[in-house]
Amino acid sequence: MNRRFDLHLLGWLLLVVAGLLLVPLVAAVAFEDAPGPFVSALLLAGVAGAGLVAVTQTKERNLRARDGFLVVSGAWAVTSLVGALPYLLSGSLGPVDALFESVSGFTTTGSTVIADVSALPRSLLLWRAMTQWLGGMGIILFTIAILPLLGIGGMQLFKAEVPGPVADKVRPRLAATARTLWGLYVGFTVAQWLALMLCGLSWFDALCHALTTLATGGFSTRNASVGEFSSPAVEWVVIVFMLAAGMNFVLHYKALTGRWSDVVRDVELRYFLAVVGGAAVLLFAVLWDQGKGVHDTVRAALFQTVSIVTTTGYVSVDYELWPHAAQFLLVALMLFGGMSGSTGGGPKSLRILLALRSLRATVHRFIHPHAVVPVKYHGQVVSDGVLSGVAAFLTAYVLLAGGAAAVVTAAGYDFATAVSASLTAIGNVGPGLGAVGAMDNFSSFPAAVKLLLSACMLLGRLEIFTILVLFSRQFWRH
Amino acid sequence: MRALVVGGGLVGSTLAARLARDRHDVVIVESDRERLQGLADDLDVQVVAGNGTAVEVLRQAGIEECDVLFACTSSDEANMVVALMGSALFKVPRVVARLRDRSHEASFAAIAQRLGGEHVCINPDQAAVEKILSLLPVPGAVDVVTFLDGKLIIAGFPIPAGSDFEGLLLSHLRLLFPSPPVLAVAIRRGEESFVPHGEDEFRAGDLAYFAIDPHELGNVLKLLGVRRGSEERVMIAGASRIGLELAQRLEARNEDVTLFEDDLEVAEAAAAQLKRTVVVRAQATDREVLEEEGVERASAFVACTDDSSLNVMACLLARRLGAARAFSLVDNPALTRMVGELGIDAVVSPRLLTVGLAVQFVRRGRVRAAAALMEDLIELVEVEVESGSRLVGPPLAELGLPRGTLVAALLRGKNVIVPGGGDRILVGDRALLITSTARAAELDAFVGGQ
Repeated sequence: MNRRFDLHLLGWLLLVVAGLLLVPLVAAVAFEDAPGPFVSALLLAGVAGAGLVAVTQTKERNLRARDGFLVVSGAWAVTSLVGALPYLLSGSLGPVDALFESVSGFTTTGSTVIADVSALPRSLLLWRAMTQWLGGMGIILFTIAILPLLGIGGMQLFKAEVPGPVADKVRPRLAATARTLWGLYVGFTVAQWLALMLCGLSWFDALCHALTTLATGGFSTRNASVGEFSSPAVEWVVIVFMLAAGMNFVLHYKALTGRWSDVVRDVELRYFLAVVGGAAVLLFAVLWDQGKGVHDTVRAALFQTVSIVTTTGYVSVDYELWPHAAQFLLVALMLFGGMSGSTGGGPKSLRILLALRSLRATVHRFIHPHAVVPVKYHGQVVSDGVLSGVAAFLTAYVLLAGGAAAVVTAAGYDFATAVSASLTAIGNVGPGLGAVGAMDNFSSFPAAVKLLLSACMLLGRLEIFTILVLFSRQFWRH
Repeated sequence: MRALVVGGGLVGSTLAARLARDRHDVVIVESDRERLQGLADDLDVQVVAGNGTAVEVLRQAGIEECDVLFACTSSDEANMVVALMGSALFKVPRVVARLRDRSHEASFAAIAQRLGGEHVCINPDQAAVEKILSLLPVPGAVDVVTFLDGKLIIAGFPIPAGSDFEGLLLSHLRLLFPSPPVLAVAIRRGEESFVPHGEDEFRAGDLAYFAIDPHELGNVLKLLGVRRGSEERVMIAGASRIGLELAQRLEARNEDVTLFEDDLEVAEAAAAQLKRTVVVRAQATDREVLEEEGVERASAFVACTDDSSLNVMACLLARRLGAARAFSLVDNPALTRMVGELGIDAVVSPRLLTVGLAVQFVRRGRVRAAAALMEDLIELVEVEVESGSRLVGPPLAELGLPRGTLVAALLRGKNVIVPGGGDRILVGDRALLITSTARAAELDAFVGGQ
C-alpha cells in the first residue's frame, strides 16, 4: 500500500470539498442568510486539506487495489464529516443528526431528520441538495475529472466508487472518462432544471429538485416532497429524469454518440425497464379500486415505482394510505435498484439479473445432472468469479439488512419500520414505512440507530466490499 | 493521438503503457479476458475483448478514428491481416505490424505498397541481432546506440571501483578528453536515473552513458580498465532464429564464430546454412564442451536460446569459465534489471526492442531517430533543425529547453560538435537531445513547435 499518496489524495479531496463550499457561501451572501457556518466549514476543510497535501508530498504515485478501497472509503468518510459541518455550525442540527443528514445526502439516500425542511435557510437547502448531487456521480470521479493527480492505478479508485459489478470506461483515458460522465450529468441536470421551471417552479425549487433527481437522492425543499407542488406536469418531468438517472450513463453516452443499436440491445436496460413497467402495472392494478381516475392512478403508480426502483425516494402521495399489498410491493422494489453505472443505489439490476440466471442454470443442472449449463450475458459466458462475486454481494446485502433491522426492532420499533428503515438505508432509497413513512422522518430514532443507519448508507453506496475489506486483518498486512 | 493496439501480450501491453504515459488515447484489443482485466486495472487505457482479426471487433475498438494501428499479437499471420485491414478497409494513416518471418515481411511490404498510408514492419529478432552487433565492437559496454550517421556512439559502462573515473567531476572530462570531447549524458545510481550536469561526479557502481567520438573509444576503454578477450571469437548458444541470423551476419564480417545447439536436427540445419562457423552439438550449459571449445579465450558469449532462464545460467557459466563478455537474451522485464546485477554484461530483450522501435515510429516526423536508455527512463532524440525551429537562435543556456534536457552533440557539415551553454544551434544542424522519459512529451512539443 502507498499510504503516503493515499493521504495526499485525501488532502486534495478536502481541498475540492472546500472549493465546493464556496457555492452555498455565495448563495448565503446573496440570500442574506448567515454565511458563518459555510465560512467556518470551508476554512476547516481547506486548512486540513492544504496541510495534508503539504506534508504528504511523494513521487511514488502508483495505486494498488488496496489503496483504492482505502482512499475511496476514507474520502467518503471525510466528505461526510465536512458535509455535516454547515448543519451543525448553523445550529440547525445536533452532531449525530448533522452527520446523519450529511451521510444521507452524499450517499443519495434522502432520508431526513429534519421535520420542517421549509424552515431551513435557502443556502443550507442548496448545500443539502448539492451533497446529493456530488455523491450521485461520485466525489472521487469529480476529483479525477478536475485534477490531473493520478498516475497508474486511478482505475482502482474508479472501480471502488462506480456502482455495479463492472466499471466501463467510455474513453481510453480515465480523466477523459470522468469528464465525459460528469459532463453528461451536468447536461441532464440543466435540462431538468429548465424543464421544471417551464412547469412553473421557482428557479430555486427547480434547481434543488434537478440536483437531487439526477443523483437519485430524493431530498426536497418541501415537507411533503414533490407531492406538495400538486402539479402533474412536474411529476411527469421528475419521472422521466428519475428513469434517466437510474440508467447506466455509459448508455446515455452511446445514445448521444449515435450508437442506438447498442442501447436498444442492452440486456440490462431491457430488464430494468421490464421491472419498472411490470411493477407499475401491478401497482396500478392494486390502486385501481381507489377510484382516483385513470390519469391520476397511472401517474401515482408510475411515479412511486420509478422513485423506489431508481432509489430516488421522492413521494408524490402518501403511500401509507394505500392497501398493504401496494406498500409491500414498494418495499420489495427496494431490493432491485438502478442499473450498474447509474447514480442509483440498491443491489443493481445487473446483479439481480445474473443471480436469476444462475438460479435458472442451477435448476437446469438438477434436472440434467450432466449438462453443461453456462450463464450467459450479452452472448458471452459469465465467469464463475463474477457469479460468485454477485452471490457474495447479495448474501452480504441481505445479512446486513437483516442485522440492521434486528437492531432497529431491539430499539423498540415495529417490524415494518425496522425492515423498511434498514432496506431504505442500505439501498440509498430514502423513505420507509411506519415510523419512517412517506410523511414522517428519521428524527425519532435514538442516536445509536441513526449512526447504524448512516453506516448502512455508506456501505450501500460503496457496495459493501469497498468498506468491508478494511475490516479484514489481512488488508493491513504488507 | 489515438492509438489502437491489437494483442495485449508483453509487446502490446508495454507499448500501450508507454503510449498512455505519453498522454495518448490507447485502446487495446485482446481475446484473453483474464489478461484483459489485468490490463484494464494496471493501465490508463480502454480495453476491448475479442479477436482482432474480426472487422466487428476492430470497429468496436474505434479503428475508424485511430491515428496509428499496432498489430502485435504473437501470430505473424494475424498481424498481417489486422494491419492490412486497417489500411485497406479503415484507411488508418499509420500502421505497424510485428512480423518475425522474413518472407512475411516481404509479402506484407508488397501488399502494403499498393495501399495508402504509412507502413512499417518490426521484426523483434532482427532488432535483437542489430542490438547485439552494435554491442560487440564496444568491449565493456552494456548498451550501445549510434547517432548522427555513426559519427557518435552513445555507450553505457559500469564505473568500476578504483578506475580513473571514480570521484571524477563531470566537468573535468573535458580536461581528460579535450578534443574530440567525451560527454557523460546519463547516469544510473542505484534506483535513480538522471541526466547529469558538470558538478556531478562519478561514483563506483554507477552506470554511466557517454557520448563518444568513435576515434576516442580506445582511450575511454583504457581509462575504464576494460579487458578484452585474447582471441576474437564469438560464441553463440542456441541456433534459434536470432542465434542463426547472428552467426550469419558475423560470418559475413569474417569473424570467427562457434555455435552451440542441443537439438541434433536444428544443429544440422544450422550447419547446412552456415559456412565457416563451427557448429557444436551441446547444451548451452555443458561445462566440459564449453571448456573444450575454448570459452576462456572468447571475446564474447551470446546466449540466444528461447529459454530466458537457460540463457542467464549459460552466461553466468561462460563468465565464470573466463569469457570476456556475456550477453543474454531475456524477454522478461522483471528479470532484466536483476540479471545485469549478476555480472552479465548486457541483456537484450527482443520484445522490448520492438516496443522501442514502435514508439520511435509514432514520434517520427518530428524526430529523425530516437532511442531509450536504462529501461526507458532516459530518452535520446535526434532532430534535423529547420528554419523557424525553436531550437535556433539564442545560445543554448537561454534557449528555454524543458528542465533536465541536454544538447549532447550537433552534427554540422561533417563535424560533430559537443556544444557548451554559450554555443548556438544553426539551421541545417542535426542535434542530439537527451531528456528523462517523463519529460519526453514536453521535449517533443518544444521541438515540434514552431
